[in-house]
Amino acid sequence: MNSKPSISDVTVARRRPLSPNIQIYRPQLTSVLSIANRITGVVLSLGAVGLVIWLTAAAMGPRAYGAVHGVGSSWGGRIVLFGFTFAFFLHLCGGIRHLVWDTVHGFELRSIYISGWAVVGGSVALTVAAWTVSLLLAG
Amino acid sequence: MRSPLARAEGLGSAKGGVKHWWAERVSAVALVPLTVWFLGSVIAHAGGDYDAVITWLKTPLASLAMIVLLLALFHHTALGLQVVIEDYVHSDARFAALIAVRLGCLALASAGIVATLRIVFSP
Amino acid sequence: MIVESSDQVARFTLLKRFPVPRNFKVTPESRIEKGRTWPAPPGASRIKTFEVYRYDPERDGNPRIDTFEVDLDDCGPMVLDALIWIKNKVDSTLAFRRSCREGVCGSCAMTLDGTNWLACTRFISDMSKPATIYPLANLPVIKDLVPDTTHLFAQYEMIEPWLHATTPTPEKERLQSPQERSQVDGYYECILCFCCTSGCPSHWWNGDRFLGPAVLLQSWRWLADSRDEAKEKRLDTLEDPFRLYRCHTILNCTRTCPKGLNPGKAIAEIKKMVVEREG
Ligand code: SF4
Ligand code: SF4
Ligand code: FES
Repeated sequence: MNSKPSISDVTVARRRPLSPNIQIYRPQLTSVLSIANRITGVVLSLGAVGLVIWLTAAAMGPRAYGAVHGVGSSWGGRIVLFGFTFAFFLHLCGGIRHLVWDTVHGFELRSIYISGWAVVGGSVALTVAAWTVSLLLAG
Repeated sequence: MRSPLARAEGLGSAKGGVKHWWAERVSAVALVPLTVWFLGSVIAHAGGDYDAVITWLKTPLASLAMIVLLLALFHHTALGLQVVIEDYVHSDARFAALIAVRLGCLALASAGIVATLRIVFSP
Repeated sequence: MIVESSDQVARFTLLKRFPVPRNFKVTPESRIEKGRTWPAPPGASRIKTFEVYRYDPERDGNPRIDTFEVDLDDCGPMVLDALIWIKNKVDSTLAFRRSCREGVCGSCAMTLDGTNWLACTRFISDMSKPATIYPLANLPVIKDLVPDTTHLFAQYEMIEPWLHATTPTPEKERLQSPQERSQVDGYYECILCFCCTSGCPSHWWNGDRFLGPAVLLQSWRWLADSRDEAKEKRLDTLEDPFRLYRCHTILNCTRTCPKGLNPGKAIAEIKKMVVEREG
């Protein structure tokens, strides 16, 4: 009997390496907006916790509400809220883009890229607009 | 030592998934007007003092919309986080994480609704 | 930048790669090490540098990146020509698949400069400096640029990619109106190169169960065929949280398909059909 291992024995015995994926695959508008939609979704679930805290404080009375409101209107709080606003608009615009896709519309590459950049521009513009109005109203 | 086809088949099709997918879309559609309404209202009450917020939340429209918002929001959150966990968590922690997300969202939605009702029925 | 068709090569990108550690999610045997440099032959004037992934199963050691300097005056215009030049003139052990050299067989799919394409239809002049050539992403490597596609073809086998009909065969062929025939346009052209599946992040994380864009596009090719009589069975096979619904409409697939097809759209059609079946 031949004791020399055949090529297939050698290759089977050794675990094959996996070719690299995310380590080398180029970020594209498609994948970047997808992961952005996901990250903003996770961020917004934290925002949803904030909403419940805010409501509960309001239900508890002026003192508790004042404390939460104070945190929210501090500088740190405002920066966080600004972040939440941007996350909200990005997820909203990206979500609408997904809803349109679900009706099997807008799948040509050109449309994919135009709607993608529109989501980026739209969410930046809406965030700035919302804060401008809010600060103006607050005087 | 399973054949490639057997490995690809795995445990077979769950013949499901469409309900989850559909519920995610329905809650998303509901959230578009609800969240925009909420953000608009918060901006309108940007001064945000206690009395203004309570007066606003005591109106029937606002309290009703807030409760629907909480339901849709946490339903959507639970569905979305479930997908994220299924995508990335491949250890035994997956099952525990899925349950934690479900229960957490249920608890938060309940807490939010209770708070809203307490405001509505406060003297 | 607005990309109009998948053959548009990105000339400008903010990020060359995602900001993750080099060895993020990389198992020890897959870690890439430094390889050697093969200088251009003496006298070569137009030189292009290629960084090529190498792996030899018969030798100890991890995969490595070898650097080849190719003499462009002695070599054809496509990336496949450069690989053939390297194999003929520099290192005959370099392994890669190719057959048609005109984009119809799907053998030479690779990750070129970080996106998937066919080596035979990508111009060397469209490659970055240095050009990088990896085997098709996220697949077990048999040798160098030859990936193991067994699992992908098993997934393909699972969807039974042939006409299912119980109606007895008519005397001539099964007829289709021109309009019905047009429903498979954009889907029947798939050459099963798996550029799309290999570029799909959802398939990276859950490829054991998620069927991936190539196989789902093929599923739709049969679901859209008016002569097929197995819609129910086909949809039953697909309707699963992982097999079908792991697709999150990322659309890397549509961006990368070297035949200009639209797997993302095909998958949306399937999802719509599943909803239609519900109610
Ligand atoms: S659209 Fe679906 S199949 Fe295509 S890359 Fe995205 S997740 Fe993958
Ligand atoms: S859809 Fe395109 S990229 Fe995917 S396997 Fe078919 S030809 Fe290749
Ligand atoms: S060699 Fe056939 S597709 Fe490239």
